[in-house]
Amino acid sequence: MWRQLCDRFGMPLGMAVVALMGIWLILMVLLPQWQMIDYSLHPSLLPAEQGGEKDVWTLANYATFFQNEIHLSIFFKTIWSSVLVTALTLAVSYPLAYYLAKVARPGQAALCLLLLIIPFWINEILRTFAWYIIFAFRGPLNELLFALGLIDRPIRFLNGDIGVLVGMVYAYILFMVFPLYNAIESLDRNQIRAARDLGAGWIRTHRRIVIPHAKPGIATGCIMTFMLAAGSYAVPALLGAPGSRWFTQIIYNWFFEGGDWNQGAAYAFLLLALCIVFVTLVMRLFKVGLGDIAR
Amino acid sequence: MDGRVSLNQVAMHFGDFTAIQPTTLEIESGEFFSFLGPSGCGKTTLLNIISGFLSPSEGDVAIGDSDMTRVPVNRRPTAMIFQNLALFPLMSVYENIEFGLEVRGIDRRRRRQKADELLALVALEGSGHKPVGDLSGGQKQRIAIARALAVEPRVLLLDEPLSALDLKLRQHMRTELKAIQRKTGITFIYITHDQGEALTMSDRVAVMSAGRIEQVADPATLYRQPASDFVASFVGENNRFSGRVMKIDGDTVTLDASLTVPVAGRAIAGTDALTVGAPATLYVRPEQWRVGAADDTRLPLAGVIENEHFEGAWLTLDVALAQGPRVRVHVAQSTAQESPDLSLSAGMSCRLDYTPARAIVLPAEVGEEVGEEGAHVATTV
Repeated sequence: MWRQLCDRFGMPLGMAVVALMGIWLILMVLLPQWQMIDYSLHPSLLPAEQGGEKDVWTLANYATFFQNEIHLSIFFKTIWSSVLVTALTLAVSYPLAYYLAKVARPGQAALCLLLLIIPFWINEILRTFAWYIIFAFRGPLNELLFALGLIDRPIRFLNGDIGVLVGMVYAYILFMVFPLYNAIESLDRNQIRAARDLGAGWIRTHRRIVIPHAKPGIATGCIMTFMLAAGSYAVPALLGAPGSRWFTQIIYNWFFEGGDWNQGAAYAFLLLALCIVFVTLVMRLFKVGLGDIAR
Repeated sequence: MDGRVSLNQVAMHFGDFTAIQPTTLEIESGEFFSFLGPSGCGKTTLLNIISGFLSPSEGDVAIGDSDMTRVPVNRRPTAMIFQNLALFPLMSVYENIEFGLEVRGIDRRRRRQKADELLALVALEGSGHKPVGDLSGGQKQRIAIARALAVEPRVLLLDEPLSALDLKLRQHMRTELKAIQRKTGITFIYITHDQGEALTMSDRVAVMSAGRIEQVADPATLYRQPASDFVASFVGENNRFSGRVMKIDGDTVTLDASLTVPVAGRAIAGTDALTVGAPATLYVRPEQWRVGAADDTRLPLAGVIENEHFEGAWLTLDVALAQGPRVRVHVAQSTAQESPDLSLSAGMSCRLDYTPARAIVLPAEVGEEVGEEGAHVATTV
């Protein structure tokens, strides 16, 4: 790689590129992360006690998590809900991405993409508040369902998981649509036509031709959505109920309510580590390599 | 197995654009039928209408005795071979061939048996487990044929499938396709802009231009008796002389084409549309010319050789006639070798003649007028 860089940019510029990348990695990624690891391996102490005899290396912060059943259950619920969010987002995005990539005329596709992107110019919190208003007990959605005669009393959307699920699917849909769109777009239209011509119905055509081709895109979209959902704070905080607390809210509480940064750092690392393990497992399961995703 | 394809007043419009003029056509069961035409003439649209990818704006499509106009593509007894073949790259050769059988719910053992038979037919036994990416161009071609034949179509549609192959392979595949067609007895409908392909393989050819079928005939008839100016110019090469009818004698028509002498040819479509004084066009094929030395006054037309190209079996000459128009002349290599004193190189004068009985005359088409400069000659390759 060093050779390629030098061939392309020449020696001085190549070195500059590598140096900049190094500085970026060290200052922006490695040092802060190292600081957090360091925090997570020390007990929470008063400033006066830091560096004193109580300031020892310990795994106690990590142990706390495994001893706390509520935190454990919230953790697994977060993972499970994130899987659900990912699955729902995929289910919503796939037809949309297929339409954009293979059915719509170029003008229509461009318009659709623009309509999809415009809401994302607004801050995520504001968009989530919009859903808060839509889902309110006396909000427009209940009014609409009521007017259509589908319900005879308002539904408390914000009480359970529905609000959080919908809010998240909405928040992360672009991270799913774009990788899917790119993957499906690169499929030769004649492949679809050939499958149809050989007698395949639409379901089989998608199952045997489109989805296998789009697998790297599906994997990328799912991983991004899953990681974002598992690490989301605003959506569960605004649209969730006490019963649907997210693990990120526990981490937040350790940092800013409990003031225990050491404990919070340990929790944050557990979330990161377990998400990585989970994603790796899923990639194994679907036989997708890192190389496929980088494509 | 009735592989008759009937088009009844089929037309296709895209907005204001008419891709296919109302067309009625009957393709016989077991026939090797080609649609020949330049790109944009509507031949691919017609193929898509027969396969079911498009449904016609007007008219009906039938295969055998069943109406297919509203039948979706996956329920038609047709199979298509795509220009880029469209093999499924993530599947093995077996999986590709068996795809259509899998769709039809045929069990694994029978699928494999059928796939092996087809691999034998296309002479690729034993390559079933290879990924399609490992095959050469010619092998991919055969797998595409096997995959299409697997579903036992009554009609096989081929969309310029040989265009990606190199010359030698293309010629070899022509023979092979024809052999497969004879062996299976399936109706083949072949789309091409390459007249060599259409003429060598087909039982009948439909020549298309601007959404219209100009002529449907067997290859020899197309070449010898073109029905329209387009066919005469598009199929093979032709030297074209526009002029006015001077004399009609039986089916021999003499034209004044502003050359040094009047020229004559045979009116193949009858003389009904020709009257003395009416505009008409004479066509002389490059190989119909006789070439003689500059002092051979038995030959009526004098000219100067502008270019000469050695083509192997023959010599191509571009000869500027004394009155201006340039004609293309093919001299068989054997002729050139038999007359060593005939000097056929650029810059030399020569004289030309042709046999009027083999040249043809067509009435000028509507909208076509003889230009001020008199004769003009178009050579098309």
